[in-house]
Amino acid sequence: MKAMNRRKLFSVSAVLAAASLVATAIPANAAEVGVTASEIKLGMTLPMTGTASLGYNKIPGAAKAYFDYLNANGGVNGRKITLIVKDDQYVPTQAVTKTNELILKDKVMALLAPLGTANVKAVASSVNPAKRGVPVLFVNTGFSGFADVKKYPTTYSILPSYIMEAKIMGKYIAENLSGKKVGLLYQDDDFGSDALAGFKAAGTNFTVKVPYASGSQSAATAAGWITKFKAAEVDVVILFGVTSASLYMLATAAALKYSPQWMIDSVGGDSTTLKLAGVPAGVLYNAIGFSPVPATTDLTDEYVKLFSDIYAKAVPGSAFDLNVLLGMNSAFMTAQALKAAGQNPTRKSLMAVLNTKGSTLFNSALSPVGYTGTSHVGLTGEWVGKYSPTGDLLPIGGIYTTYTTDSGAGAVVKSTYKRPAMPAKGLTN
Amino acid sequence: MFSSSAHRESWEQRRLDLHKLKTANHFSLFIVFGFFLFLLSNRVDELRVYQGASVAVFVIAISSIILLTGYSGQVSLGHGALMAIGAYGAAVARNELHIPIILALVVAVLLASVGGALLGAAAARLSGPYLAGTTLALAVGLPSLANQFAILGGEQGLVFDVGSPPTKLGADFTQYKWFFWIAALAALISMWLLSNILRSRYGRNWRAGRSNEVAAQLSGINTGRSKILAFTLSAGIAGLAGALLSMTIGTVSPSAFPLTLSFSLLTGAVLSGVSTLSGVMIGAVTLVAIPEIADVVANRIGSSENITTNLPGLMVSTLLILAVLFVPNGPVEQHRARTAKKAAKKKS
Repeated sequence: MKAMNRRKLFSVSAVLAAASLVATAIPANAAEVGVTASEIKLGMTLPMTGTASLGYNKIPGAAKAYFDYLNANGGVNGRKITLIVKDDQYVPTQAVTKTNELILKDKVMALLAPLGTANVKAVASSVNPAKRGVPVLFVNTGFSGFADVKKYPTTYSILPSYIMEAKIMGKYIAENLSGKKVGLLYQDDDFGSDALAGFKAAGTNFTVKVPYASGSQSAATAAGWITKFKAAEVDVVILFGVTSASLYMLATAAALKYSPQWMIDSVGGDSTTLKLAGVPAGVLYNAIGFSPVPATTDLTDEYVKLFSDIYAKAVPGSAFDLNVLLGMNSAFMTAQALKAAGQNPTRKSLMAVLNTKGSTLFNSALSPVGYTGTSHVGLTGEWVGKYSPTGDLLPIGGIYTTYTTDSGAGAVVKSTYKRPAMPAKGLTN
Repeated sequence: MFSSSAHRESWEQRRLDLHKLKTANHFSLFIVFGFFLFLLSNRVDELRVYQGASVAVFVIAISSIILLTGYSGQVSLGHGALMAIGAYGAAVARNELHIPIILALVVAVLLASVGGALLGAAAARLSGPYLAGTTLALAVGLPSLANQFAILGGEQGLVFDVGSPPTKLGADFTQYKWFFWIAALAALISMWLLSNILRSRYGRNWRAGRSNEVAAQLSGINTGRSKILAFTLSAGIAGLAGALLSMTIGTVSPSAFPLTLSFSLLTGAVLSGVSTLSGVMIGAVTLVAIPEIADVVANRIGSSENITTNLPGLMVSTLLILAVLFVPNGPVEQHRARTAKKAAKKKS
């Protein structure tokens, strides 16, 4: 008995000793983490597999396409940008694990475009990039809270906040659909509470409000929503949710021949994704939509033209859509910020650039970002459009009219922002 | 007559002594192991420390499955839900009542046990696919219940902050090392308790009921009650694992307890060998290591995104199939059986 225990003890200690030896060799870093003479490493976590990955899993390919294009044209100050992508399956546990790997093992300089409010929150509280001084650039969520510099000092929003979007929708309703009965479908979490706050600020009254749980949409639940909207006899239905919510709602409405005036938010309204998933273009036709960036089919726009050309070469056969455009736009802004962060960029100098010059970075959107030292608000405006007979979102009357506002009590006004001409070939190096 | 009974008494006494001796020995083994873990946590980098905490969480979670399936013979596809109960219980207690972390973990165990007792009462009447179906439904449905109650924070969930490590541990003491200490200590304590319970009357009752329910009943075991007890205890341990899992990610939300979590725990249990507790490290380390190994492999073969994202799942499935084919009782049990066979051969 004793002999056996001793043997056990011996083998256990041998294994542990070996394990600790293997694990101790950590190389020392002279320059900034993730920056070498020839390379800058960035990391991204987002759903690449699973139901939530629909549409969003094109973002890494889009960002890589731009970085590869940039690298082929000299990179940033001679350094190539490498993007390491990890699949978090839209599960917070995975997001934390993968972000840990990116920061502690792959030793990336900054995180780029992580997706999902719950995931970004979990990462903020467990991995705590703020404490580690790691920049979290251009998070893919419109939750207004991430602009709070005190709470998330190293996190930068990019999408217009859901509050802004709701205020712009509210203004459109007041001006164009007054007297109509309006129903709202919203997500029952921070996403939705942002929306409600925006509509309250805009003074929009709803005949019926239908909350949904973000994890549980299906054709059956959508049929339940439609029953409620029908019972309230609303004329306008606002879909303020994620792509899968709009998808089930529109597809089920098509099957049940329910056709109110639709109004769809920007994160849930990408027509390419919706159509690929089975929403007939005819259902989208005449729906009112919103977007911070130019219409993705608008090849007269210099950014859309260049980005779609780059993307078509890098990822042949994949349709250019809103997710791709936003992904490439974030990569484009990242490259400029890195360039402006000096010959030897550091995490600190990168964030200093964003805080002081963030709003002057070239950007395909039709509104500037609102970064200052005290706020990390992303894009500050959206244009209103209608879906065409082929289901594409186009500006009303063919002209982009961008409305701008804030996440507080500020008014919604027509933007006077004139987007500067794109740098030659979309390069600033 | 008299002498034979005295003989029996002394024999029983010896067995009892042996049992005590074994328990004591195990206890010191756990202390030594804990000490090694402590030394190890000071030697390795932060990522390994974090992974160590994850391993500890999985050790606890898988051992709760082994107790339930391997010893009492009941199947659960819904352990993720029981973990969620523990996690939410701990987070709400911590956030609303501001109790110390150790009490929050106790709350997690108690709440999950109550859930397990209720489920167990139903489960004792079910078996096989019906039990699997019931627990599966729980895994699918329960976490999203959180969306119905404002206090549970909806889809975004709740913050679960165990607090910074005590300042007297020094400024270099990272948050992850603190997580690791808490999780590893919890794992050591629960493994020690479990390994003793499994060798007690209860453990024997469970095994008797699993092997042949009628025979067990004939020998005076209330199998129904015994099964419910197993479910309750298993749920309590799962609840502890759930609370610790949430500790490592800092939040509790429905999406942290997906169906795949319940499945991967089962996978871990099969890889560990469902019928022995001693292999539990194998399953836990595998679950944590596979994604990283997959990453390395994918990078080596110059991967496309498709390969990188699907390789971990493929590797786990392959391992599962191999384990079922070649070591159905788990590597530890297999090894034991083989050495026993060899020893028997030598004797003859």
